[in-house]
Amino acid sequence: MINLVRNEMLKLLRKKRLFVIILIIAFLVPLFTYAQFKEIQDQRKKMGTQDWRTVLQQEITDTQNRLSSSRIQDEWRKYLKIRLSQQQYYLENDIDPRAPGAPTFMRVFVENSIDLLLPLLVMVIVADLVSSEASGGTIKLLLTRPVKRWRILLSKYLAMLLSVSFIVLSVAVLSYAISGLVFGYGGWNMPLLTGFAVSGDELLTDNVHIVPQWQYILMEFGLVWYVCLIVGTLTFMLSVLLRSTAAVMGIMLASLIAGAILINMVSSWESAKYFFMVNLNLTNYISGMATPIEGMSLGFSMSVLAVWGIAGFIIAFVTFSKRDIY
Amino acid sequence: MRKYTLTIVSAVSIAATLLWLFGLGWTFQDQFSSNKKFEQPKEKTESAISKKQDGTLTIFAMGDSLTRGTGDADGKGYTGYLLERLKEKSEQEVNLINTAVKGETSRGLFKQLQQSEIQRQAKQADVIVMTIGGNDLFQQGTTLESLDMNAINSKKQIYLSNVKKIYSQLRDLNKEAVIYHVGLYNPFSNLPDAKTTSSIVRDWNFQTANTAAEFENIVYVPTFDLFQLQVENYLYTDQFHPNKEGYKLMAERVASLINFEQEEKES
Amino acid sequence: MSMKPALEVENLTKKIKRKLIIKGVSFTLYPGEVFGFLGPNGAGKTTTIRMIVGLISPTSGTIKIGGKNVRTEFTEAMKHLGCIVENPELYPYLTGWENLEHFAKMDPSIPTNRLQEVVTLVGLTNRIHDRVSTYSLGMRQRLGIAQALLGKPKVLILDEPTNGLDPAGIREMREFIRQLAREENLSVLVSSHLLSEIQLMCDRVAIISKGAVIRTDSVQNLLAEQERVIWKAEPLSLAKELLQEETEVQEGLDGTLITLYNEPLLPEWNQKLVQAGVKVKEMRTQLPSLEDLFLEVTGGESID
Repeated sequence: MINLVRNEMLKLLRKKRLFVIILIIAFLVPLFTYAQFKEIQDQRKKMGTQDWRTVLQQEITDTQNRLSSSRIQDEWRKYLKIRLSQQQYYLENDIDPRAPGAPTFMRVFVENSIDLLLPLLVMVIVADLVSSEASGGTIKLLLTRPVKRWRILLSKYLAMLLSVSFIVLSVAVLSYAISGLVFGYGGWNMPLLTGFAVSGDELLTDNVHIVPQWQYILMEFGLVWYVCLIVGTLTFMLSVLLRSTAAVMGIMLASLIAGAILINMVSSWESAKYFFMVNLNLTNYISGMATPIEGMSLGFSMSVLAVWGIAGFIIAFVTFSKRDIY
Repeated sequence: MRKYTLTIVSAVSIAATLLWLFGLGWTFQDQFSSNKKFEQPKEKTESAISKKQDGTLTIFAMGDSLTRGTGDADGKGYTGYLLERLKEKSEQEVNLINTAVKGETSRGLFKQLQQSEIQRQAKQADVIVMTIGGNDLFQQGTTLESLDMNAINSKKQIYLSNVKKIYSQLRDLNKEAVIYHVGLYNPFSNLPDAKTTSSIVRDWNFQTANTAAEFENIVYVPTFDLFQLQVENYLYTDQFHPNKEGYKLMAERVASLINFEQEEKES
Repeated sequence: MSMKPALEVENLTKKIKRKLIIKGVSFTLYPGEVFGFLGPNGAGKTTTIRMIVGLISPTSGTIKIGGKNVRTEFTEAMKHLGCIVENPELYPYLTGWENLEHFAKMDPSIPTNRLQEVVTLVGLTNRIHDRVSTYSLGMRQRLGIAQALLGKPKVLILDEPTNGLDPAGIREMREFIRQLAREENLSVLVSSHLLSEIQLMCDRVAIISKGAVIRTDSVQNLLAEQERVIWKAEPLSLAKELLQEETEVQEGLDGTLITLYNEPLLPEWNQKLVQAGVKVKEMRTQLPSLEDLFLEVTGGESID
């Protein structure tokens, strides 16, 4: 099995896909670093102060003002209210949720890329894992070896899993290393609040507790990895089902983007919460953001994703071992 | 070399897998076990202790939509123009912190004033400007239409007691800063009932000014006269909030009252 | 033959969407022989071959490679098999060596020095560390054979091995295949839609049409029966008359006469014509076209 996985890793490497992914990240991170740097500068200029409390207070007031506007959508109002009480909480407990520093950047970056950017990167790697063998014809050589089909597919799946881990690690390392040049490398021990739960309009703070930022980041990356793994598994399944890599990418792209759009529209369509693509934003549960649909929670979303992932895994293995190859 | 890349990437990937699995496991343990107790961070960071920024004049603005600047196309409001004026007048750095909330009533303002951060800001301020009462009285224009004197009187009593509480709290927090309470105008002074509405607003302003007089260094700034004539030229399209020109008038009036040298000496 | 068969195919059928594509194919390969699988495109050659190599599961029938059933003892059976199905499609982004290494790793019983052996065998030593994307078709074909030989198989299956090769390449391939069968005692199954190719390469041949084997025989037998002589003579009608006395004569399209090939009698026929004053301008043997052969063996059923 190790040999098989090694084979798959070799092919992945030689296809230069991982390299391309790293390049993409290395290109995007400085972009976002600069954007955030500008934002902080701009804020300082506007406020004439470097005191984050003042900035946060100003944000609270802004939120309050937006809340008092009558033309505001219900979902948006709910979101703002939760945001407001959370900001208030940070202020009262004297915690700056956005203290500049590379770890903070890492955290914010990964929170913002969990639902689209990272799944897309994973998709780029996984989409042609099986379909390229089918379209390139090499699958005929692969499957006429004295190795059972499920073992071959499993080796590909494990290679997928490893490359997902690798991508997530690259995101972590690159975002830390690059943003640190601007923001400095400190801030690992900054306390952060987690454990917010949302029930209706209320923000429940019973389970709220403090974790140091490094733990928070590790937890978030664990979730990011989980999301990427599920997206990877589903892409993997499509890659088994379809011969054309372009079709795999198309379908995944469509569903991921549909998810991003749905999240903003589905608050009244409750059963939409069983779609995998509206459940990708796991980090929001850690930071205590409003859920797009009532009744969603970290446990719920992870279970939905797990069900989709397991189903995709089974479909992939059953079709692959039974299918006739022409 | 090529061989090594494969080994290194594979080894790193395996290590990463374990790391992320660990992170995921920790998330489970952290998020799904509920026996955690929130501990208040013991140490407050030193910057939490209020400190005034030397050499800068800090204006703390609070209150309702007038302070927020609703109706001004540029979104500055009278506080924004006030800031501009003060900057012209003096070499000194001027800072503005605006915590006004649209639709705030006197009760809401008093509640807001209980927040620690608002209190900290109030403490640091050199000048405090505020508008309040408009929403108590007008409530989006409905009160004055009915012209029910009893209802208005009871509202006024509640309002005055709130204002008193606000004043005293501000004075407790900050003994030195001059507080400018910008008064109300009558947005309906070009409507048929102008006489009645104007007298109500005048009375409201008078009572507020009386309350302000009980405290030291609280200046009640009238605006009634500014909007008395040609009110339509100074109102925004909602016929309620001032427009840009109206806000500029208000800013000029407040600016003329702020005496720099005195402020500096006091601070 | 008393030897243990290397490949046995028995009563193989395949149904796709309720349509019977392969209708009970059976044949046997013995060690050291090259077996031809002849049929027009679409006759079911490739489907049969894919069933043998385990890419398609048969609806019924058994396939045994080296005595091991492909369906029930897949891994054991596959150890005795090397194959190229259609074009040798290898990973273009890997070098030839990496490709071989890749496939060798999938079978732990392959010793590491086997790689160098097969590379030498197919004569790719100079270019083996270049990327496959830079290879010519002939080189890819050779690399394909190298990967098929990695596991020292008993049975080698080559689907249209000369497809796309130039005449020199075709010849080289032919000789190589014969050499393998002779020296390594391999059984080779070669499929083709070209009779000439099969004729030169194979010992025995199975003719397949519409999903069924119509005939299995040695190449000599098959061809001897069917070989013809083309006559160009003047006057044609006299020549025809004279030849008809001896054998069956057909008239060709371009003013030729066609008779069966009968080696011992041919000089006599010729002499008879000459003596009768017929000018024999040309006399050549011709292999029947595949179409002719089919028409013959299927009794008038045309190739579709």
